[in-house]
Amino acid sequence: MLEFVIVSTLNGVTYGLLLFMVSAGLTLIFGMMGVLNFAHASFYMLGAYIAYSITRTIDFWIGLLVAPILVGLLGVLVERYLLRRVHRYGHAHELLLTFGLAFIFEELIKLFYGDFPVNYAMPAYLRFPAFSLFGADYPFYRIFIGLVAIGMFVLLYLLLSRTRAGLVVRAAERLPSMAEALGHNVPLVFMGVFGVGAALAGLGGAVAGAFFPTNPNMALELGVIVFVVVVVGGLGSIEGSLVASLMIGVFSSFAVGLNWSLARLFDLVGLGDWARDLGGLMTLTLSSISGTVPFLLMLIVLLVRPAGLFGERN
Amino acid sequence: MRAMKTLAVAAAVLSLGAAEVRAEPLKIGIIESLSGAQTSTGRLFATAAQYVVDQINAEGGFNGAPIEVVEYDNAGGATGAADRFRQAAAEGVHIVLQGASSAIAGQITEDVRRHNIRNPGNEVLFMNLGAEALELTGDKCHFYHFRFTTTAPMRVNALVSAMAEEGDLGTRVYSINQNYSWGRDMEEAILAAAEIGGYEVVDSDLHEVNRIQDFSPFVAKIRASQPDTVMTGNWSNDLLLLMKAAGDAGLDVRFGTTFLDQVGNLANAGETAVGHYIAHLVNLELEDEAWIADYEQATGHVPVYIEPQTINAISMLREALSGLDFGGGEIDVTQIALALEGATLEGANGTLSIRPEDHQVVTPVVVSRVAEGAKYPVDDTQWGFVPVKVVAAEEAIYPVQDSCNMERPD
Repeated sequence: MLEFVIVSTLNGVTYGLLLFMVSAGLTLIFGMMGVLNFAHASFYMLGAYIAYSITRTIDFWIGLLVAPILVGLLGVLVERYLLRRVHRYGHAHELLLTFGLAFIFEELIKLFYGDFPVNYAMPAYLRFPAFSLFGADYPFYRIFIGLVAIGMFVLLYLLLSRTRAGLVVRAAERLPSMAEALGHNVPLVFMGVFGVGAALAGLGGAVAGAFFPTNPNMALELGVIVFVVVVVGGLGSIEGSLVASLMIGVFSSFAVGLNWSLARLFDLVGLGDWARDLGGLMTLTLSSISGTVPFLLMLIVLLVRPAGLFGERN
Repeated sequence: MRAMKTLAVAAAVLSLGAAEVRAEPLKIGIIESLSGAQTSTGRLFATAAQYVVDQINAEGGFNGAPIEVVEYDNAGGATGAADRFRQAAAEGVHIVLQGASSAIAGQITEDVRRHNIRNPGNEVLFMNLGAEALELTGDKCHFYHFRFTTTAPMRVNALVSAMAEEGDLGTRVYSINQNYSWGRDMEEAILAAAEIGGYEVVDSDLHEVNRIQDFSPFVAKIRASQPDTVMTGNWSNDLLLLMKAAGDAGLDVRFGTTFLDQVGNLANAGETAVGHYIAHLVNLELEDEAWIADYEQATGHVPVYIEPQTINAISMLREALSGLDFGGGEIDVTQIALALEGATLEGANGTLSIRPEDHQVVTPVVVSRVAEGAKYPVDDTQWGFVPVKVVAAEEAIYPVQDSCNMERPD
């Protein structure tokens, strides 16, 4: 039992940190700009593909460094030349624009890299077990992903809450016209925020793409779950995102190992066999729906705290 | 007025003449996932089918005209497939091809069945190139559906016998599959083969399709039951992520798989995949070099994944068509279906034929192992699929399901 708890927690925490890494940029963009960026997971995918190209031609670490910069620049261009134009028409237009962008990015990737997953792998010297736990190796790269995510969180948190730049960003979000009247260039701030958000997604892609398959579907696969993270955590709250990511990671991880079903609940009152005879929903085990856990969590959070765990606009 | 009359006569004569020279072309509709998540597989089905059709057309086509191929994008879903099928039927398609996803095939086969009941004399034939759910030749079987791929028992039984012979099966088997028709078929087949394989199924998992990003919790669960072999019908990311997670955790098991030859899998799994098994329909190493080279010249790549079985399927159609002659007149799909029932194909590992009772292809199954030194390394790696055992067609086939009540045309 102890083994199960420790292993599941560890797996859940590292997966949660990965989720945070991908969703941090989305939270930032939503929280500071109010833009629900559907193309966010596409930036994540672009990061992975750019890092893959650089790894193949130059070096893994340079890829890790350059991918976020390029994706960030792309984000800046998207904000400057596309999003800004539709900004005054409201959020629905921004959402539709980014939604369309997601499709365009996906098709572009397919055009240049093909339909199949590409061979983006970490360098061999990073492929070693960090430690052994109950006879199972724990890959170092998972720890590495976790460390990058924690680094990202600390940096973002300090940047937003402790620096002057963060103050301006928060002011620009809360009262744009006031910030502008005080002499701050609000459009420039927004452009910067969007660029940083995209760069974070790019970094996430560069790091995680080497661990998970890098394929044209990766945006689709992670796209939904990062939205769940942001909604559960509270739109715009970095701390909320972290907590939500960890919760989703740990809950999913535990769900796999638990063969709970409704029938077991009926066992308590001696009706277990009857419930098992019914089959269907009664015998559906938790492990077979572990992928649904994040959505269940979202449902519950939305019912209890509509603004999310750390959301301010309750 | 006179001029009008002449014009009308001329037009009538012209159209009469046109009707005489214009033979009805055979129309094939490929209703595949040509956009969305399963594009990679859908595109392969279309490429391979087109390759054989081009050959038939080079030899003069069918019924006095080149065979027409129309691609319909089902966007990876059953709803899209239903729409595209309606469109195809309206456009006069005679034969529908599809292969990626049993769920979509289930939709199409039902649509085809209904269409044929409502439009006697105007039937549509469904050639199922890759959907392996048993219900398609069971509950849902009908005369105008033909399956040109294996099913779970065919793959599992071949895997079990080959791995046991190689001494790699062991006595403890873990079954992990996707929670839908195909995965449940696999789970059942793995349980059913326990006796002949001399193993015990230590635990069995069904999980959602393409929803799990992190398989490490599943790997932890697998480790806890200490299996020798993990058998899985997973495909795409679900297979790749599972194998990578197992490799990263240093889990010492053998994998018995069914779709490991999907493009990109070996490159991504890397060394983790070495030594694992796959049961598939064709291993290129056993095939004739000439046609592989020809295919490579025509399409730019050697046949991969489901392409060989698609080539076989359309080749069997070619065989069926060669015995038919409608004299340039109306194409009778029922005649094509009847001819297809009797079509055979001489493959490298034996003869392929169609079982008339449920229209399941009777085909040899090859079990291969991932290793270095394969004749056709895949994904630009040094690894490829080395054939281990060929299970003859008559040995690989499973009994006709009782649930199949096929109504034959009079």
